[in-house]
Amino acid sequence: MSAVGSFLWEFLRGTWDLLWKMFVIIVPIMVILEVSEGRRWFRALARGWARLLRPLGLSEETATPTLVGFLFGLAYGGGVIVRDARRGTIGRRQVFLMSLFLSMVHAIVEDSLILIAVGASAVWVFGFRIVWAGIVTLLVGAAATALVRWHRKRRG
Amino acid sequence: MSGDRPTQPAGHDDRRAEGRKPAPAEAVLLEPRPLRPALLAGTRIGVRTFAEMALAMVPAYFAALLLEKLGVIDVLSDWAEPVMGVMGLPGSAALPLVLACLLNIYAAIGAMQALPLSGEQITVLAIVILISHNLIVEGAVVHKAGMNGIFFSLLRLAAGLTAGIVVNLLFGILS
Repeated sequence: MSAVGSFLWEFLRGTWDLLWKMFVIIVPIMVILEVSEGRRWFRALARGWARLLRPLGLSEETATPTLVGFLFGLAYGGGVIVRDARRGTIGRRQVFLMSLFLSMVHAIVEDSLILIAVGASAVWVFGFRIVWAGIVTLLVGAAATALVRWHRKRRG
Repeated sequence: MSGDRPTQPAGHDDRRAEGRKPAPAEAVLLEPRPLRPALLAGTRIGVRTFAEMALAMVPAYFAALLLEKLGVIDVLSDWAEPVMGVMGLPGSAALPLVLACLLNIYAAIGAMQALPLSGEQITVLAIVILISHNLIVEGAVVHKAGMNGIFFSLLRLAAGLTAGIVVNLLFGILS
């Protein structure tokens, strides 16, 4: 009983930590996005960011989710992907490429700083991971595209 | 899989989005909205998205915690120990790596600090952990976004370990 009880207690505490933090981040992000999307400065920012990601095959519609995920974390970028998928502005291929990129690099500030604080090299943690994310997105993206093409062709 | 046939019933948002030409940028994206409706809409979308993500993440967190309590971490670190050498890491570094993958970065850092690692080894382990962590909960997030969460979690594990091998090789070449 006490083992089960302490497990449930830890689960509840952990869930509370997870949820309140997510709530106080995700709601302001969505409010800021609703207020700023469409404003000139935000579109300029999104265009600039999209230009950086274009070599990876990511289109301009993916600028907001990738930027949010890159800066704040996968759950938040994922939230914006869910929102945009609901609106129907992003296709599956773009969601796949975004998921690839964000899987490799997200929460760039928070996560990296914790590990730099315990002694990891900042240059490698930032530089290598971003380059690596680009390589993986390109390679796996190309492989998936080839696979889908081959699959479609085979079925006529 | 037949998910992308146009004849399939369009049940899922993602699927419908795919069949079309790239959707024209919505009107909302091109014109700033009045502040009050934007604030209201943002709050509504935020709460709804929060609820959707929470419904996916909490069960995943439960599963991760259960696996930890069942002793899966010890078993997996035993398995991982011999593999650590290819990244230039001692076998004992398997524990923080497994903790990161199953739970999160914070759990891993606690275990890392108990180990006598060199600066380069800390950097290698940090890069692996930064790519491959919290795989169960974040796998649920990716799944929610419409992708296969298991595929992406395994990909992150593979890409993380490969990155560790590459960084270790680069350190060898550069030093």
